Amino acid sequence: MVNLNEISKGIIEGDRNAVLELTKAALDANVPAKEILNKGLIPGLKKVGDLFETGEYFLPELLISGEAASRAVELLEPVLSKGNIPHTGKYLIGTVQGDVHDIGKNIVIMMLKGNGWEVTDLGVDVSPEEFCSVVDKGDFDILGMSSLLTMTMPNTAKTIVALKTAGLRDKVKVMVGGAPVTQEWADTIGADGYAPDASAAVKIATALVGES
Amino acid sequence: MQKLTGLERILKTVKHQEPDRVPHFELLIDKKVRDAIMHDTNASYADFIEYMDIDAIMVFDKTMTWSYETLDAAKGIKRDQWGGIIRFTTTDLGHPMEPAIKSEKDLDTYVPPDPDLDWRYDELKRLVKRFKGERAVIAHCTDVFDIAKECLLGDVTYFKAMIKNPDIIDRVNEIVTNYELRFFKNCLDVGADIIFVSGDWAMTKGPMVSREFTKRFIAPPFQRIAELAHSRGVPCFKHSDGNIWPIYDIIIDAGADGIHPIDPMAGMDIGEAKAVFGDKVCLCGNVSCAFSLVTGTTDEVRQETKEVIRKAGKGGGLICMSSNSIHSGVRPENYVAMIKAIRDYGKYPLEDHFDNLVIPGKKCHNYPERL
Repeated sequence: MVNLNEISKGIIEGDRNAVLELTKAALDANVPAKEILNKGLIPGLKKVGDLFETGEYFLPELLISGEAASRAVELLEPVLSKGNIPHTGKYLIGTVQGDVHDIGKNIVIMMLKGNGWEVTDLGVDVSPEEFCSVVDKGDFDILGMSSLLTMTMPNTAKTIVALKTAGLRDKVKVMVGGAPVTQEWADTIGADGYAPDASAAVKIATALVGES
Repeated sequence: MQKLTGLERILKTVKHQEPDRVPHFELLIDKKVRDAIMHDTNASYADFIEYMDIDAIMVFDKTMTWSYETLDAAKGIKRDQWGGIIRFTTTDLGHPMEPAIKSEKDLDTYVPPDPDLDWRYDELKRLVKRFKGERAVIAHCTDVFDIAKECLLGDVTYFKAMIKNPDIIDRVNEIVTNYELRFFKNCLDVGADIIFVSGDWAMTKGPMVSREFTKRFIAPPFQRIAELAHSRGVPCFKHSDGNIWPIYDIIIDAGADGIHPIDPMAGMDIGEAKAVFGDKVCLCGNVSCAFSLVTGTTDEVRQETKEVIRKAGKGGGLICMSSNSIHSGVRPENYVAMIKAIRDYGKYPLEDHFDNLVIPGKKCHNYPERL
């Protein structure tokens, strides 16, 4: 019998091989994929997030653990899809127009995927029109926008205006993040959530989906 | 006090002596801002420095000493001299898209750029000829950590390698450090007065990596550069955005004579920095180029500049600068207001210009107590 706590431990220690072997073993032992996710991967990533927030873990540890979780989720994906088991939610993400920074966004994606989110990444330098078009065609719970520059931060506001103009604002919750972004800015532009880091992004996203 | 030259003003404040007034220079000043202030689109960077009587001019490595190969002009995609592919959008500096080294095999055959090419020093030579002795001519280089991370290995690979494959970082660090040591030696031979190393070691929340990793991977290359500077009697400045409280002592131990920009966006208070380590290094900052210089009124900028000087100017050891650079979003009139406020409130002795000149000594953050 696979102890799912061992998967959590592997995530916390960033031991990708152990996490993958234990996840495979759990699937072979017919442990439901959702249970592996909820009792193995997510608690491990939550602890990693807590350690990051308290300053005990830094970017290297976060990336190693996030990657281990993402790879394990790839193993679970076919089973989750086959069983028609819903994801935690559907998240659309991109770096705003004029900005090509992506490490922060990519860490958020890794953490979201590890927590069972289905993530669509539009990449960098995404225009308000492109965000709107994808929101219109998809069924996303949350749109997350990253801006790393003071001068591109206003493009988060422009995208929200574009969503309103297109009649799409109520279709998704909107989150913003990035070095110059603050809660005050998020409130000013009418975003639903602001996250200062990847760990907080997962918490806020989960809370926003819970609200809706 | 007798009026000093810009160079004298900076060197005196770096030694924690009070010059005639608080010095000022910037890491970068955007052309749009410069042109708007000078009402002259043909004026050069050096013309602007002279026009505004700024105390130093910086030869910025990426824009003045690196070579690039254009790969897609329409999309602004280029290969930099290290082999990394970068894309330029709204900034002058571009952002990495693809690193040069994707495997250890790539590293085995990697040929670094040649620091000894004469053309790299053309701009520095021109500025030394024009300003030597009058203004500080600063040779700038991007941090070894930044180049190794962004141009050579890619940031995700670099951070993961800190845990999984430290040898590859050591190899890449050695390549970049050797280039920079040679580059700076050449700059000093040409006549640079100060060395300035940019590249962040921290984010808004705190350091990118632990103290252990900062000491193991990031600080040693900078320390070698600082040692070169000091062997030639030249100060060495270190830039890092973000909250550096947990690692400020490592930066100082590595040999920084000045720290820029004491990032207010990351909660760095320049008064607190003055109280805790302002006697060890020159503080360079920190009028907000995220808020007041971009969206504030000239009065707000003036007030904030005055406050920076009030908090950190006493006894020297302050160069009043923006909190990063004068980027294209800065209102030209606000930058002018900042410079004017430095001239008005930064005359030594400062007591003459303030009703209540105090240096706050309260501890607001958790940071190493060793110093």
